[in-house]
Amino acid sequence: MSALTVTGVTKSFGDTVAVDDVTLHVPHGSLTAVLGPSGCGKTTLLRLVAGFLDPDAGTIAFDDRVVAGEGRPATPQQRRVGYVPQEGALFPHLDVAANIAFGLPRAERRSPGAGSDRVDEMLDLVELPRTFRSRQPHELSGGQQQRVALARALAPRPSVVLLDEPFSSLDASLRETTGRAVARALRAAHATGLLVTHDQAEALSLSDQVAVLRAGRLIQAGSPADVYLAPHDPELARFVGGATSLAGRCDRAGADPDRRHADSDLGRVSLTHPAPADELVLVVRPDQVRFGESGVAARVDEVSFYGHDAAVRLTLTASGTPLVARVTGPTAPAAGDDVLVSVYGPVHAYPAPDCD
Amino acid sequence: MLLAGAAVALLALVPLIFIAVYAVLVGPVEAWHLVVRPRMGQLLWNTLSLAGACMATCAALGVALAFLVERTDLPARRLWHGLLVAPLAVPAFVNGYAWVSLDRSVHGFGGALLVITLSYYPLVYLPAVAALRGLDPALEEASWSLGHSRWLSFWRVVLPQLRPALLGGVLLVGLHLLAEFGALQLLRYPTFTTAIYDQYGSTFNGQAATMMAGVLVFFCLLLLLAELRLRGRRHYARVGQGAARRAIPVRLRGLRLPMVAVPTAIAALAVGVPTYALVHWLLVGASTEFPLAELTEATASTLVLATLGAVATTLLALPVAWLAVRYRSRLTTAIERITYVPNALPGIVVGLALVIASLRLAPVTYQTALLLVIAYAILFLPRAVVSVRAGLEQAPVVLEQVAHSLGTGSLATARRVTLPLIAPSIGAGAALVFLAVATELTATLMLSPIGTRTLATQFWSASSDLRYGAAAPYALLLVLISVPATVLLMRQERLQP
Amino acid sequence: MTASLVRRAALAAAAVLVAPAMASCSLLNPPDLVVYNAQHEELITEIVPLFEEKTGLDVELRNGKDLEMANQIVAEGEESPADVFLTENSPAMSIVDNAGLFAPVSEEALAPIPEQYVPSSKNWTGILARSTVAMYNTDALTAEDMPESILDFADPEWKGRVGFSPTGADFQAIVSAVLATEGEEATAEWLAGLKENGVVLQNNLVVLQSVNAGDVDAGIAYHYYWYRDQAEAGENSSSSALHFFGDQDPGAFLSVSGAGVLASSEHAENAQQFVEFLTSTDGQQAMADSYALEYPLNPEASLGDEVKPFDELEPPVIDIATLNGPQVTELMTEAGLL
Repeated sequence: MSALTVTGVTKSFGDTVAVDDVTLHVPHGSLTAVLGPSGCGKTTLLRLVAGFLDPDAGTIAFDDRVVAGEGRPATPQQRRVGYVPQEGALFPHLDVAANIAFGLPRAERRSPGAGSDRVDEMLDLVELPRTFRSRQPHELSGGQQQRVALARALAPRPSVVLLDEPFSSLDASLRETTGRAVARALRAAHATGLLVTHDQAEALSLSDQVAVLRAGRLIQAGSPADVYLAPHDPELARFVGGATSLAGRCDRAGADPDRRHADSDLGRVSLTHPAPADELVLVVRPDQVRFGESGVAARVDEVSFYGHDAAVRLTLTASGTPLVARVTGPTAPAAGDDVLVSVYGPVHAYPAPDCD
Repeated sequence: MLLAGAAVALLALVPLIFIAVYAVLVGPVEAWHLVVRPRMGQLLWNTLSLAGACMATCAALGVALAFLVERTDLPARRLWHGLLVAPLAVPAFVNGYAWVSLDRSVHGFGGALLVITLSYYPLVYLPAVAALRGLDPALEEASWSLGHSRWLSFWRVVLPQLRPALLGGVLLVGLHLLAEFGALQLLRYPTFTTAIYDQYGSTFNGQAATMMAGVLVFFCLLLLLAELRLRGRRHYARVGQGAARRAIPVRLRGLRLPMVAVPTAIAALAVGVPTYALVHWLLVGASTEFPLAELTEATASTLVLATLGAVATTLLALPVAWLAVRYRSRLTTAIERITYVPNALPGIVVGLALVIASLRLAPVTYQTALLLVIAYAILFLPRAVVSVRAGLEQAPVVLEQVAHSLGTGSLATARRVTLPLIAPSIGAGAALVFLAVATELTATLMLSPIGTRTLATQFWSASSDLRYGAAAPYALLLVLISVPATVLLMRQERLQP
Repeated sequence: MTASLVRRAALAAAAVLVAPAMASCSLLNPPDLVVYNAQHEELITEIVPLFEEKTGLDVELRNGKDLEMANQIVAEGEESPADVFLTENSPAMSIVDNAGLFAPVSEEALAPIPEQYVPSSKNWTGILARSTVAMYNTDALTAEDMPESILDFADPEWKGRVGFSPTGADFQAIVSAVLATEGEEATAEWLAGLKENGVVLQNNLVVLQSVNAGDVDAGIAYHYYWYRDQAEAGENSSSSALHFFGDQDPGAFLSVSGAGVLASSEHAENAQQFVEFLTSTDGQQAMADSYALEYPLNPEASLGDEVKPFDELEPPVIDIATLNGPQVTELMTEAGLL
């Protein structure tokens, strides 16, 4: 049984359907990322789970306890979910220890021993020094505030922890370290987490399951590898990991009975699955584009150098098709170079919208 | 909650309804006759010219002083800040008394402009300081980098950013001035409010007084609308993380010491003169008496009334502010704005309206402390609503949601999260009302229970009989009980950058 | 934080509990007599303790101005908490009398007062009188420079030289005398002249002060302001003198301070007793001996020698019941003085 089960949940605001018939299972002890661009309904979904909103249809259950959809919905305080909002939202009038102990039962909060132990335990868990106990929230950096917010959410041992874009206000390097620390802490606490994010890298790197939401609908749910390697459609492929779309064609009459190859501006490429149609959209990941001694002629338009790797924007000389490649930093060509490119490994193919 | 808010709004409308009903009863012809008579023109000119001049001088003085204290390397800036805010603890009529009793040539337009400016400029100075402090120095730096001098940058970048705070403060000066009675009466400068008082003295609730009140309310509403528009457009600074960077102070160089003369002069005029006058009259005044029992009684009733007024007004402000912040809709915004209307009414109009209303509707309450406290609540509700509202805006609903998700019920959340967060603002609102009630004169004179004497009424009685020495101890006590609330407000200003 | 919050809440609760206590203060310990006092507060607070001592009654004062309080009593009607109404000038008494809110004053109270100081209704009685005077600055003017009639102050030659306090009930009583003796048209003309010429001052004390300091050459007020200052230190009267118009000129108007008992009084007996005390020889002499220097009306009482004798005033003969307050207010509003 899943720790959290969302079944056919729908929520509208006026004429806008924010969450449309979403069904999602979050297994015990896992971290599930709800991924989507802003406005896709992911925060609404999280607020429905937290109990700040009530669904128009569908049910929400923690284990076998239905909290919404049957009878009167449970209030947020009855659901006992841990909630980590954007920017932490620590109580500004309480110090770190009082923030973390906020949700503990009164007896535990008041007694210096037990509650105190739990606070230290939580500080350890989120990898903050115990000396932070008496700090005021405004004395903490953004990342530290997020960790305290997580410790506060975890302290009462909730069945599910909800994280609402918790890292979006942090700068890039802090986002990554804080994200990893949070994921470690969740695993160490054997907590079930639901992370809402618009950042595909964050979703792929931190979670066990990625649920992709678009315009209120759940497009795909699966492991990070599934979502990256077998995206549901070209749009999702571009959204998750970035990709170049190319027109492709699988000739029925060709000597390819398995239909595992297609012709394109990049030459003949192999497919991950049998071609679903004759006219295809091929999705080429940047890391699949290789420079070499042979291949299709292209000109380098622009190089974005990131150190360990580089993004290279090219135009195929013959067809004028734009293409993005990602190569290790030192091997990157310079803008203006003429190069030969080829595709490494099989690519995903989707039916072209005009055909079939 | 909505019901409570609507009830408060209705209460706030009582004086307006009173004026409207009486204006209708007077009849259009007679009303027109009373409005267009020459005396009205004279009062109109007196009132508007003084209001305009005071708004201009307060704006100039408030911004200049704020810039000097906040943005330059003036020595002992904290000291000057304290001294420049101190006039808030000196009621305008005490200031007027100080000047008039020392020099009878201080009267009329010039005298009124001097005394009112010295009493009211902190209303501009304080928000200007706060705005300068909250202003991102990067804006100014960007302007310098674009080749503007510091002076030009001030005009083109800083001043526009200060505009909401500045205009808000200036409009407040205007509203206070329109309702000012004591100081202007002492300075022999007739305005609508003093003329209404004079009419009242001759007729109690005469038609001429009602029509004057109507005209006055019209101008107050104009100012109020302007203020509300500005408030609506004001952009609140993001509640940022980490300490704000302080702007690089302007180096005054050789002017550093001479510039000290500016705040010194203002402090000497605004605080020094009243202090000197009080001490002088206490020590050498011919009619100096020190009736300890009467002083104690007046202090006690002032403290009790001001405390009651502050508590009642703040309690009434809570539902209004809560609705306006948490359940924003046309209805709740309307409720909030209605409570600002009495800001535009002199105490005497509210007092008169409540006399008539209580005699007609609930004679039991006539001349009881209850009715007086209601009058205070109507008069000073805006001050409490503004403060409580600002506090609620700084207590985002997400904190309550987090508390709920941690298993805390509604009551416990209010006790453990919301109240502690808004307590400073509630305190500030209560302090503002306390100050206002302690110095309130006209409504107190009309509505107080028989035998009640407050510091303000006793001071007034003595000073209008030219018994300056007898008035001095009351004035001194008034200033003293205003000090704690003023300090509280100053602290508050520091807490909210 | 929580502890201080609790403390704060306790304070608030304490304050809320005090509220009804304050409100009911007068209920728990109601006074035996409520006096709406428009006479000088200083004088009446001197006299009331004598009465309290004599009778053991507890008197509460509500202080205000003549016309304000008169109109307030009219607005209050049957609900008025007032038992006794005291004024500085008679027009305010007439307003309440005309509204039918007075009970007749007891025979005993009226007995000592000459009948010209009691209205024909006998619903109130005069208790003190004050004479209209002109004050002049002795550095600027001599007695010969002073006009024969108060009406002459409306002449252009006095432009900017004469101070008066039109918002006070005293001046309004003087206007009522002009109205009674000279008629409406002449009064309106006179007021228009004063509006043009006169320097408007806040009250009669300021008139005294301004005349003495030479801010204005002359001023209109009542006699006792100058005498009181002389009796103290003369700080505000050392460079000024009084001019009595006499000769039945409206400027010699003798204004009568009144006392009346409200018909709605819940303490009618105490109220009558108080008015009886005010007209009694004891009460009248006490007032005459006070700082006030107003003329007592009971012939048995006498004022000190320093004040111009009562019988040398030569006031105009006016029926005090005819002085019309509301019409004066209207005329003055019309003239732009209010």
